[in-house]
Amino acid sequence: MLFSEIYGSYYTAVAQILSRAVEGSLTGKELTVIVQETAFGESLLTIPSALKEERWPFLDLNLNTPVQHEPAMPLSALQKQWMKALLQDPRIRLFSPSEEGLEDVEPLYDRDTFVFFDRYTDGDPFEDEEYISHFRTILQGMKEKRKIRVRFKGRHNERHSYICVPCRLEYSSKDDKFRLITSCKGNMLTVNLARLRSVQVLEPYVEDEFRPADYHTESLVMELFDERNGLERVMLHFSDMEKETERLDARHYRITLHYKRDDETEILIRILSFGPILKVLSPAYMVDQIRQRLDRQFLYRPKE
Amino acid sequence: MAYSELIKNFEKIRGYMREFYVYGFKSREEYDAKSARSYDNERRRMGSWLGDYMSFRQDQSGKNVFISVDNRNVPHNPLFSAYKAKSFTDNDIILHFYILDLLAGGNTLTVKQITDRIGSDYLSHFESSDVLDESTVRKKLKEYEQLGLLESDKIGRELAFRRTKDEVDLDSWRDAIDFFSETDPLGVVGSYLLDRFQDSSSHFSFKHHYLLFAMDSEVIYDLLTAIREHRSVELTSYVVRRGELRKNTVLPMKIYISTQSGRHYLLGYHYRLRRPMFFRMDNIRKVKPGTVEVRWEKYAGFFEKFRENLWGVSLGSDHSLDHIEITIHVSRNEGYILDRLEREKRCGRIEPAGDFNYRYIADVYDSSEMLPWIRTFIGRIVSLECSNEHTKKRFYEDLETMRAFYGGESNAVQ
Repeated sequence: MLFSEIYGSYYTAVAQILSRAVEGSLTGKELTVIVQETAFGESLLTIPSALKEERWPFLDLNLNTPVQHEPAMPLSALQKQWMKALLQDPRIRLFSPSEEGLEDVEPLYDRDTFVFFDRYTDGDPFEDEEYISHFRTILQGMKEKRKIRVRFKGRHNERHSYICVPCRLEYSSKDDKFRLITSCKGNMLTVNLARLRSVQVLEPYVEDEFRPADYHTESLVMELFDERNGLERVMLHFSDMEKETERLDARHYRITLHYKRDDETEILIRILSFGPILKVLSPAYMVDQIRQRLDRQFLYRPKE
Repeated sequence: MAYSELIKNFEKIRGYMREFYVYGFKSREEYDAKSARSYDNERRRMGSWLGDYMSFRQDQSGKNVFISVDNRNVPHNPLFSAYKAKSFTDNDIILHFYILDLLAGGNTLTVKQITDRIGSDYLSHFESSDVLDESTVRKKLKEYEQLGLLESDKIGRELAFRRTKDEVDLDSWRDAIDFFSETDPLGVVGSYLLDRFQDSSSHFSFKHHYLLFAMDSEVIYDLLTAIREHRSVELTSYVVRRGELRKNTVLPMKIYISTQSGRHYLLGYHYRLRRPMFFRMDNIRKVKPGTVEVRWEKYAGFFEKFRENLWGVSLGSDHSLDHIEITIHVSRNEGYILDRLEREKRCGRIEPAGDFNYRYIADVYDSSEMLPWIRTFIGRIVSLECSNEHTKKRFYEDLETMRAFYGGESNAVQ
């Protein structure tokens, strides 16, 4: 069963509350904080009162509990089956988790059950030993809050070497690739993991040097003509991005899309793929780029 | 019934979450199919679960609600919260913590012992608490055995229960769970596991990340169970064009996922129509398990063959193949365009076609599905030939319309 209260935020919150009560150190304030951090926005209206009114008889007036052990739930069959299924994924080698305890578990699904039909086929070499080593070294650097030295080849095979603060590893399911996002002398440096030649963990960095990636964001305004189910297709396709949509009339909508400057060409291509469903209104340089592509295309116009 | 931020059934909220997340412009009045009170309750629930991820905007049509997220900055899918809001009874939560506490440390106890000790060891501390009867306790023990939390053995004539052994080193899984909770189609299970860790920080972020798939997790789970058991299912699906629910008996085979829109589809064999069919996952309302299919292997082999000519998730109208040839211009120093062709084509082949030109050749069930991809090469498409005239006509007509949009020759669009 996937949708079950045993995985619910209320159970998680109560388990944490009882953990503290078993230790004998639960305070009313702490109870409130646990509910706020673990459950939902309005849970403060329900969980504390259910405990206080003894509808859930776990705590007495002094916040003591008859529960003897710190609450712990065994892994469910569903959780083990899911973990077992992950062991078939080539990307699991990046993490190398222990397989102990899952020997007799049936995986939730076979790897070929899912078909990612429009994923690009030049994904990263997740089973390459050097790639795995780079991945783990970066992860170690992030966990230990250390700088790293990265050496990599650029697009034109030129060699680079940088000392930087690793911020995060960004994965794209479409590209099936990881990119390392770093802070490097105040600037954001992004490197495809597959291009790395070496990664070395260096000394710890000071907090000031850690500046999580700050992309330059641009806004693009476009008009949507709701034909051929265009509204739904566009909304879903761009649902990975922050956007605002305004209805102009029954079949026309204005969408403001917020995108990272680095992704300009990709956004242009994504918009072009919708053909006459979308018309870019601004910024002017994006409109110009589309116009130029169309002008070039019309040089190939088939003869009537 | 009094409002609660917890829900019993996921199906209703699934529709609302989808609308709020995908569309951002509908006002309360537009949800006329449901009552205004229902709308208010669902909106309040989502606000409670999602907190800052819910944004509000006022325009001429009234107050609009939408879930606004830049997915790249979200380490954990906020929509998983909905799966953690299952309602329960007071007895459910009481039994949960007391049973697991009694069986901690390797204890094995019979149903009667557990029932008695819940009364004596726990409930006796509280004046207002009722005694729980043995059948209620037995029911919960059986439920937890099915979930894999408990195991049972006969001791004499009585059934005794103990907690299942946990030999998994969960700490060694921390990073893997963090990553796969966002990338696996059933990542919600990973999200449940992540709740076991005190530290919620993440070292990952995700680009081209579609969060909405989370809303279909329950349907996917039911289908995976059927696929694993080689079992047919009765699907109840919403047919958008007709605006009604339809039932189909299908042998589920594969789940197709678009990494470029987040859409999920079930590919299954339709028994009555005797052909494979795709079903959009977000339109599937219910999955009812049927009988085990003894000829599973036969169908599985058939699907492998059929994939060779599939561009996306359309089989065309009659399962015949369209032949398509596209010639693309690739200038000197534009090797990246050729790389794009190689990595983005899903079937077919590429061959040189004269100076700086390359031809992509394929036979597909539905060439019109390729048009969005073909348009991404606008500016360098030397020629497009297709046995399906409609595909070719649409491509060139669309080009004319686009040209008019941007101040081209015909300027025909209003």
